[in-house]
Amino acid sequence: MKKVGEVVLLWLLILFIQNAAGEGYSPPGKPTNISCRSPEKETFTCWWKPGSDGGLPTTYALYYRKEGSQRVFECPDYKTAGKNSCFFSKNVTFVWVNYNITVVATNSRGRAFSDPVDIDVVYIVKPNPPEEVVVNVTEDKDWPFLQVSWKPPKMADTRSGWITLFYEVRLKLENKNKWEEVSAGQRKTLQIYSLRSGGTYEVQVRCKPDHGFWSEWSPSSRVKVPEYFPQERSMWILIVVFAAFILVIFIWMVYMNFHSVKRYLLPPVPGPKIKGIDKQLLKSGKSEDIFSSLVVSDFPPTTSNYEDFLVQYLEVYVPEERELIMDEGKDLQDDSFKTENSTCDNDSGRGSCDSHTLLTDKGGGDKEDGQQSDQEGSQAEADTKSQEEALEEELLACSHENLQSSNISNEKEKVKSWPSLFSPLPQYSLSPVNRPNPPKTGQQHCLSDSLFTPNSMPSYFTQPGPSTRKGFRSNYWECSFDHKQSHPLHPQSAAHEHLQAQNDLNTAHVDYMGAPLDVHVLNVRPSEYVEVQRVSVEDGVLLHPISPSQEDSRTLSHQTEDYSRVRMVNNDNGLLLLQRDAIEEEKSMCPYQEDVVSRASITPTLQNSVTGINTALPILDEMAASGYIDTATMFGLPTH
Amino acid sequence: MNQQPVEVVPVSFQSTTGDRNKPFHMVYLVAMCRAVPVNDLLDRASQRSDKMHSLSTLLTQEMDSHFPPYGRMQMPRPADCHTSALQTPNDKEQALQVSESDLMSLARSLLQAWVDPLAVLSTSAITLPHPSKSSISSKIQELQEHSKSLGDGLDILSGKMGPSAQAISFLPYTGGTDLGQDRVTILNKFNFLLSCLRRDSHKIDSFLKVLRCRAAKLQPELC
Repeated sequence: MKKVGEVVLLWLLILFIQNAAGEGYSPPGKPTNISCRSPEKETFTCWWKPGSDGGLPTTYALYYRKEGSQRVFECPDYKTAGKNSCFFSKNVTFVWVNYNITVVATNSRGRAFSDPVDIDVVYIVKPNPPEEVVVNVTEDKDWPFLQVSWKPPKMADTRSGWITLFYEVRLKLENKNKWEEVSAGQRKTLQIYSLRSGGTYEVQVRCKPDHGFWSEWSPSSRVKVPEYFPQERSMWILIVVFAAFILVIFIWMVYMNFHSVKRYLLPPVPGPKIKGIDKQLLKSGKSEDIFSSLVVSDFPPTTSNYEDFLVQYLEVYVPEERELIMDEGKDLQDDSFKTENSTCDNDSGRGSCDSHTLLTDKGGGDKEDGQQSDQEGSQAEADTKSQEEALEEELLACSHENLQSSNISNEKEKVKSWPSLFSPLPQYSLSPVNRPNPPKTGQQHCLSDSLFTPNSMPSYFTQPGPSTRKGFRSNYWECSFDHKQSHPLHPQSAAHEHLQAQNDLNTAHVDYMGAPLDVHVLNVRPSEYVEVQRVSVEDGVLLHPISPSQEDSRTLSHQTEDYSRVRMVNNDNGLLLLQRDAIEEEKSMCPYQEDVVSRASITPTLQNSVTGINTALPILDEMAASGYIDTATMFGLPTH
Repeated sequence: MNQQPVEVVPVSFQSTTGDRNKPFHMVYLVAMCRAVPVNDLLDRASQRSDKMHSLSTLLTQEMDSHFPPYGRMQMPRPADCHTSALQTPNDKEQALQVSESDLMSLARSLLQAWVDPLAVLSTSAITLPHPSKSSISSKIQELQEHSKSLGDGLDILSGKMGPSAQAISFLPYTGGTDLGQDRVTILNKFNFLLSCLRRDSHKIDSFLKVLRCRAAKLQPELC
């Protein structure tokens, strides 16, 4: 019994021992990640990553074969390069020869082979870091810089050309994290400028063979840059002086051009101008007058009204006098412009004077709108428009033949394109209103020279200008007014006169207005003003200033004439005239209009020459509707 | 090679293995048409050979990026390169013992040996069953250009170095113009040729750079 138990016990012990020996033991894992590097193309080292050791002591062996030979060698040196490495000395290192390397892990349970790798020493060169890195701070005229120098790693034989190394330097401030890298090529020195005064720099260098891997960075070399602040201060002084100089120049320039600058920055706000509203009238407080001025009985203007308007604004003189007129016109215009310029309206800025903007803006649109809007007396909107319209019309009137009319919409351009009257549009607008003495000559010029017969002063012009009207309108008024009568321009007193004058001039506007108000009334209907009264039926637009005297005589004679409203003045020489069939409706058109009509009737002679007008005719219809004719456009009469 | 009317014959370069310290002297005189100094010529030549080797390295990497792994098992070993017959130094000591003329001769022989294979590679690259064949083809063409101009430069250089430098070993390429019929064979052959080219271009580059440093007495900072 005891023996059986001992046997069993022994058997169990044996089993236990056997088990104990087998647990956790296994063949080793496969070594992996074999990598080799050569620092100088004369020796190389290979490292591997061991697998699991299987719980048993495992040994590793590296075997290699060279190309072209089946002979297997084992690593000669496992120790020099540390653990899990193999160092190949010069004797066993050959270049331009493929090595086939395998690592074998062995333990008592078995062995494991790694995957073989093929290497060629010349392709795995990774040099050591450069050595003897020296960093000096060199003072150079108070601008210090760093002088960095180094030596190639000891083992690398660059002197014979066996290895060609390229270097790279990097530096950073001690307390910063960003490195700045500088390439140094094959040189062994480097200068670094633009240092921070008083800063401490860390400098590192590394190298790389021509076909290989970068080395590790050399250990940091620290250096402190001395302070050199004074230099910067002088630079700041220079900058301040230069800036001050620039500032002085700038101020001087602004001072020299103060007014133009001021005008550019703070453009004058055009005062509100209501066509047909006479400021003096308002001031006088006569409500009846005011209201009556606001109310335009004839608005919307009928065809006849249009004609009237047209006539008032533009009287295209029949060719026979054309040349004369044109010549005169230019001169007159110039004079008129000049005079008008001088009398710029001063209220509410320069808006009235600088009415070219008004004119340009309003030109086209207003024409359309003018008639409808203003005539009803909606001055609010029409004010500006009417102003512009008036201006434009006036200009048209004045510019007569020189109308280049692009068309209403392009007043601005047209105005400018007009050689004669309208080119100096702003001037024109500016001057008249405030002219204390409306230069009769000038105004007359403007009215009469080009297209206007002496009698055909547009009603507008008769308005007492300067005091009440702003710029343009007043100019017109003055123009016309003076032209006819040398009345002082006073809204109130002149109103009647204006009316008369208008009548004389055959100013339909006055008639339209039906009010004693003078030109201002007309202003109420900006479109009307601008409108060119009907001009000659076919293609003649007669614009002529109608002298008061003449107008009277004419007023009734030509009422039945066809009026075509000058729609727009072509660029070249076309005056767009709206053909009005209802010439007969002219009826009460002022003699002025009739003059125009008469002129218009004469236009057939002109028609041939007035090519522009022909083309303009269809447009004139539109114009008639709108009641506005851009003088610019209108005046684009051909210069026949 | 005698453009200069006056030229001092350079000191000879005996190809004795023990004369590794023989100085590399080249005296040149400025003639009516100034000649480029030899070290400058060597500098240019080594730059071109460097470029050639970089291109061939890029080519092998580009091939490997899409090369099917199974194909590599059959890659021939580099010992089978058509230029393996040429005896070249195998370590630094050997290399530094070679004379300048021999180094130049070796470089020129290797360069000449690759003129035909590059043409074969160029024509095969156009129809290579590889996704990057256009890039590979352009690089091979660039290699051909560099090879041509480097060959011309080395001809001039060898003319200044004596007759032994002008000897070229003949290393014919016997691989034929056709790389194979099936895709795997073609790619394998292509890869094999590229690996041979990579090594040979590195040899040429190394030899020229050794020569450059030997001639750089006036510019020791480069070496």
